[in-house]
Amino acid sequence: MSSASAFSVALAGLEGTLVEVEAATGGGLPRVVMVGLPDTALYQARDRCKAAVTSAGLSWPSQLVTINLTPATLPKAGSHYDLAIVTAVLASCGAVPVEQTHRLVLMGEVGLDGRVRAVRGILPGLMAAMAAGKTTAVVPRSQLSEALLVEGLTVWGVDHLVDLIEVLNGRPVISEVPSTGPEAVEVAGDALDLADVVGQHEARFALEVAAAGRHHLFMHGAPGLGKTMLASRLPGVLPDLELAEALEVSAVHSLADEQLNDGLITRPPYCAPHHSISLAALVGGGIRVARPGAISRAHRGVLFLDEAPEFGARALEALRTPLESGWVTLGRSQQQVSYPARFQLVLAANPCPCGQAGSAESDCTCAPMSIRRYADRLSGPILDRIDLQLQLPPHRTGLLAGGSPGESTSVVAARVADARERQRHRLAPYLAATNAEVAGATLRKRLPLPEGVELLESALRRGKISARGLDKVLRVAWTIADLAGKDAVARAHLRTAMSLRRGISESVAA
Amino acid sequence: MSEEGENAVASDPQWDEERLARAALGAVIDVGSTSLARLVSAEGAASVWSALRSSGSDSSWTRRARLLDLEGLVGAAERLGSRFVVPGDEEWPVQVEVLDETELGGMGGAPAGLWLLGPGRLNELVGGAVAIVGARAATRYGESVAMDLASDLAAARDGGPGRAVISGGAYGIDAAAHRGALSGDGRTIAVLACGLDQLYPRGNAGLLRRIGEQQLLVSESPVGTHPTRAGFLARNRLIAALSAGTIVVEAAARSGAANTARWTAACQRVVMAVPGPVHSGMSVTPHRLIRDQMASLVANAEDVQALLAPISQPVLLGVGGERRPLDQLGGELLVVREALPGRGTASTDEIAVRTGLSVADCLASLNELEDRGLVRADGVGTWLLARPSRSTVR
Repeated sequence: MSSASAFSVALAGLEGTLVEVEAATGGGLPRVVMVGLPDTALYQARDRCKAAVTSAGLSWPSQLVTINLTPATLPKAGSHYDLAIVTAVLASCGAVPVEQTHRLVLMGEVGLDGRVRAVRGILPGLMAAMAAGKTTAVVPRSQLSEALLVEGLTVWGVDHLVDLIEVLNGRPVISEVPSTGPEAVEVAGDALDLADVVGQHEARFALEVAAAGRHHLFMHGAPGLGKTMLASRLPGVLPDLELAEALEVSAVHSLADEQLNDGLITRPPYCAPHHSISLAALVGGGIRVARPGAISRAHRGVLFLDEAPEFGARALEALRTPLESGWVTLGRSQQQVSYPARFQLVLAANPCPCGQAGSAESDCTCAPMSIRRYADRLSGPILDRIDLQLQLPPHRTGLLAGGSPGESTSVVAARVADARERQRHRLAPYLAATNAEVAGATLRKRLPLPEGVELLESALRRGKISARGLDKVLRVAWTIADLAGKDAVARAHLRTAMSLRRGISESVAA
Repeated sequence: MSEEGENAVASDPQWDEERLARAALGAVIDVGSTSLARLVSAEGAASVWSALRSSGSDSSWTRRARLLDLEGLVGAAERLGSRFVVPGDEEWPVQVEVLDETELGGMGGAPAGLWLLGPGRLNELVGGAVAIVGARAATRYGESVAMDLASDLAAARDGGPGRAVISGGAYGIDAAAHRGALSGDGRTIAVLACGLDQLYPRGNAGLLRRIGEQQLLVSESPVGTHPTRAGFLARNRLIAALSAGTIVVEAAARSGAANTARWTAACQRVVMAVPGPVHSGMSVTPHRLIRDQMASLVANAEDVQALLAPISQPVLLGVGGERRPLDQLGGELLVVREALPGRGTASTDEIAVRTGLSVADCLASLNELEDRGLVRADGVGTWLLARPSRSTVR
């Protein structure tokens, strides 16, 4: 009876736990026993590994093979344990040296022909392994670039079990690659440029304010005014992600089954799900293992919900907690996982289900109560968290001639970056990075009050804004001041902020 | 059982035989029944009620009369805190008696009595009161006009209270009118088509509860009554009769507001209508009322005051001559003001192009002009000139 072990990682959300895969060979009829709470995909690893080892030209031990995954009480799921299982089994029967195996962490799935296939979660998995003290990793070759994002780790990329066996025997035909951590990859300029948006100067200004203060934005207007066009250009004017943010975002995307072949994700992601999206796809879900949904893929980026009222009450209500906390926690029978979901929300809505209400050219065919119900679907708690609400007026003239071209993304992005820098500097003592995140009490009591604060009081008294609306005006006014490069909010900034809120019925927004 | 109950209530000195009979008739007879109103004014409620109860004939009224639990009804109403007023009471609004001579669509007649809830005194509130009615699916334009009218009309003036604003508590224009009156600490009455414990529509329950606590809720129907189609039409006649005039703000071709306007005309009260965009379906009824010369066009509170003022107190129409608000505008404000078209609307983009100012500066100037009452935002993202009024100039 001989035994050996190798390591892999169990993932619950972004949290990884090092899992020791032990294999013992000998002492019974030839069969394979697997213990330690494997799920179906993992349990089937027995057969995959057996076939793959044979394809690689080695023989699977014709004895009793016991495979144990510890900690035994932690539920384990997925196919990425294959490499660790093969390694432990081969070492336990003496096919490869035992000394090498326990210092490795391995992630990867094997095919029946011995090929090593890509798996999800390489980045968060290896980050957890690194934190647990492992310095050498083996991953599928196609995911080498993703694995190299983890600084300080030595990584072997393998295509086939043959490569793995050579590595384990200490005579690799491939060379190990020491990771120097993420490198800034020059990203090709965004294809979507703000200069493409014709007219809509007010909407562009609102978009710039939204980007600078990280305010959630709601655009009302008839179809065809460019709401989607504007929203899809928001990520372009947002600043680059900081390193910690970029790792977080890349880890989530790795779990969501996206290949990180281009290296670290350094630009804010953009996610625009269709309104038929299921609740599980929106917030994250799955039967035994909850996987990240659209709101997590939009983490540190933009979540755009076009035709927002069509999303349905359940989907919209589900956004409330993530909007508040920046996290979504999904409970499943065996485990509870949390994914980050600090997204910037952009909503767009037509005035009614057919989109024609309020338009001069065409008739709206919707029943009166259905128009009201349509607008009401968005009322309440979601709108409470949206600082900027914008009415897009219809295009009239100048679409073809005379419409002055707007500024390009790069010009706007530079102003936004400056405004962000001012906020970071001012708000650091209050544990916030942007104006949208500042607590109402801080805004009113600890930050300097704006010049012309009596304007707000009079608007409040006359019922033009609500108490909560007042906080929103203050936040937006600070962002407008930041964009203008001013250190304090002036009367004009307050007035601009109040103008941007026009047309919001306070009975709904209050 | 109901025999004993009636005796128990009857021992309460406030509930004399006539009052009980009126409460009972209000509960069993279809609201707005002209034949009943005629009988009651000719014979007295008590005798009509006893005749109905002892009648051998089998009609829906006699069946309901026999099944009525009058004591339970009165008890529930008192637990709610509501009161019942009948002709002869100090709080009885004599204005509704015009309905005894008015018939429309087979309906008419003054109510047998009125259930009230709230601190407001009905007889004091209805003197010079104005009704604001309109579409449930109102646009932002309609809601903001209704809110401004209600707020200005209900605001205190010349040392006395403003006009009470009467409406029906429905979504849209009705709710905006109530809210407008409440926002300026003005007085308002909601006339409901259901019992005072029902607070229909449910979405406005908070607003209606507030009116019941601070102002006044009125209904012809006893507690527990659910709103019906006929109930709404009968309620409209009360709104029309209780007010000195009715303003229709936004109503589609077929609407309850058109019915209220017809009742207002039938009751010899002043019918007024606010025009809207000609493209909007919500403008059809107000425009038709104006075109058919059934209603006077009103655009602001001064227009309404001029139409409702007693002849002895003429109100000057139009803008005051001595202080011109435009004279006080300087620099950017004047430039932005001049960039707005005399008629029609302009978007912020268009104003920015015409003035050469940045969007942010335009928005700031527009907000200040709005505060001064010179410019208004409509509901669809564009701006238009507002007629300056002396009350809003500072």
